[in-house]
Amino acid sequence: MLVFAASDKGGTGRSVTSANLAYHHALDGSDVCFLDFDFGSPTAATVFDLPDVPAEAEGTGLHAYLRGAANEPLRIDVWSRTEHLDLRDRPAGSGRLVLVPGDRSGGEFVTGEEHLHRCVDLILRLHREFDVIVVDLSAGRSYAVDLVLAATSPRGGLAGLKHRWLVFHRWTRQHVAAAAELAFGPRGIVQAGAAMGHEPDVLRAAIRFVRAAVPDLESPPWSHVTPAQYAWMRHCDSTLETLASTRGVGRTWTLASIPLEPVLQWQERLITIEDVYDRQIANQATWDALIGLAQQLTDDTLWGER
Amino acid sequence: MSRTGRDPHPVIACGEVRTCLLPTRDALDERAAVKLLRLRPDERVRVSRHPNRYVVSPEVLTGVDCPLPTDTGARVRAVGTVGSHASLVEGRVIQATASFSLPAVGTDRRQAWSYYLVRPGSLVPVGQLPQRALVRGFLLGHRPGRLDVGSIAESVLARISRQDRILDHDPPLTAADTRLRWTAVRTAAGEEPSSLFTKGEDGLRTLELSLPSGLPPTAAVGLCEELALHDWLLTTVADKLDGLPTGAADDRAVLRVLRPLVDHLLHLWMPRARVDRVLQTVWNQLEETPGYSRQWTAHAQRIRDQLALRAIHLRDEVPGRR
Repeated sequence: MLVFAASDKGGTGRSVTSANLAYHHALDGSDVCFLDFDFGSPTAATVFDLPDVPAEAEGTGLHAYLRGAANEPLRIDVWSRTEHLDLRDRPAGSGRLVLVPGDRSGGEFVTGEEHLHRCVDLILRLHREFDVIVVDLSAGRSYAVDLVLAATSPRGGLAGLKHRWLVFHRWTRQHVAAAAELAFGPRGIVQAGAAMGHEPDVLRAAIRFVRAAVPDLESPPWSHVTPAQYAWMRHCDSTLETLASTRGVGRTWTLASIPLEPVLQWQERLITIEDVYDRQIANQATWDALIGLAQQLTDDTLWGER
Repeated sequence: MSRTGRDPHPVIACGEVRTCLLPTRDALDERAAVKLLRLRPDERVRVSRHPNRYVVSPEVLTGVDCPLPTDTGARVRAVGTVGSHASLVEGRVIQATASFSLPAVGTDRRQAWSYYLVRPGSLVPVGQLPQRALVRGFLLGHRPGRLDVGSIAESVLARISRQDRILDHDPPLTAADTRLRWTAVRTAAGEEPSSLFTKGEDGLRTLELSLPSGLPPTAAVGLCEELALHDWLLTTVADKLDGLPTGAADDRAVLRVLRPLVDHLLHLWMPRARVDRVLQTVWNQLEETPGYSRQWTAHAQRIRDQLALRAIHLRDEVPGRR
């Protein structure tokens, strides 16, 4: 399955949440590949704790591959290369977890057939080898978004592959509106896809939203504020919920809400079970939400099937 | 260790074989396989039906004029064509091979293309050929700006993978691709053929062969494809059986793993099906240690035993049987 992780803006926790999603699928026994299509600022190497990879990826990363400067993009086995102590011992029953890192080399893309072919060839190849392929796309209606839309369009070559879109957004007025705009707006994913030959209804059915960094008003510190503050926040929350549902970003179309997690505020990283139970630095609710997201992503009953 | 370290035997051939599962739900029948592998309209796809169904595409040539890989960094320009083809085993496992052979002596300067085109699948060095440096450099892998044979093999696979009308891209199992990079040099007169096979990380295998003179490079290609196929089969099945949750209360989890192996892979083990007689000794060495067929038989037996146990379990659960 192909999973495209998109977001309206930067700083929505898209990269870190989708990397955690990939990690959970690998823990579950699936063979997972994470493609860093965030061409402006590749961050996956940081999230997976691979400090040497950015230097190694210069000239051999995804950007170089798509431009034709490298014949095959670099592949990094996360379990064996990561410096994250909890990840060093690959858990029993886990699947492969491979990162195809991005690189900063070279200038901007010129959209062209050649990139499209190279992108399609790469994904077809990875699709043979991996159960889940997570593609982390640059924020906004970016070149990366257009590239995968073209690749999955009827003439692109990936139309036959099962693919799902996750649009990440934070829980604020502006982010909710922007996420709706990115998905359904006049310059959004559905419209752009339709122009490339996608069936708008099918594409719409393949998009779900993920709320990131959502404050849980029933747990500390939010439940410990003054009554006036609490009442105001409740009001904001319900106003946001109304706004979201009128824009098509409501609960029905939301796959998961990832709570505001202190660990992720300080560090872009994978949350491990040790973080939750041994060190007790990460919240159980975050762990549970990530498991929920991973399960719902592959639960066909929640997705209007193609 | 192979005997290649002792004498500067001329290199006869180098190549890379990529092996993967064909991305379709069911194995392809012969007609579809022939259609899939028709890489050139002017030449026929070859089909062999015994001892298993084996379809081979026509040879495709890629013209190259670039430095060869060397471990010393010495620049050796070579010009000519790299031959590549794909083969499909029982409609299920696809292999792409790119290879070239080298003459013992190069030319003083670059010739016209007509000179190279009458030597298909052959690269002619311009100047001296440091053979050891080439063999070692080739096995080390691709460096930027040097000949990349692996990407030629990959492009054959990519070209085949794009055929959406034949391929549904819904494989019954996922399996890692493997790459077998190999070199072949000549043995001294009277010496037996020998080999050194190593397994690396990330699906990379290397094979250093020493072959008696008089044996055509195609014989080496045949051996390498055969070895790559069986290595891939063994790796894939061993990976799936590694950590099989046999104690799980839910039989379905085990069946989900075992069933595709029975349906698609177990019948493909057919060692020495297409290996030149002279090279059978190389295969026999690998059968002795580590003993691939032995391991395969043990795995196949384990899969069948697991299925038999689960069948008994299911029968016991049927109401009224006990």
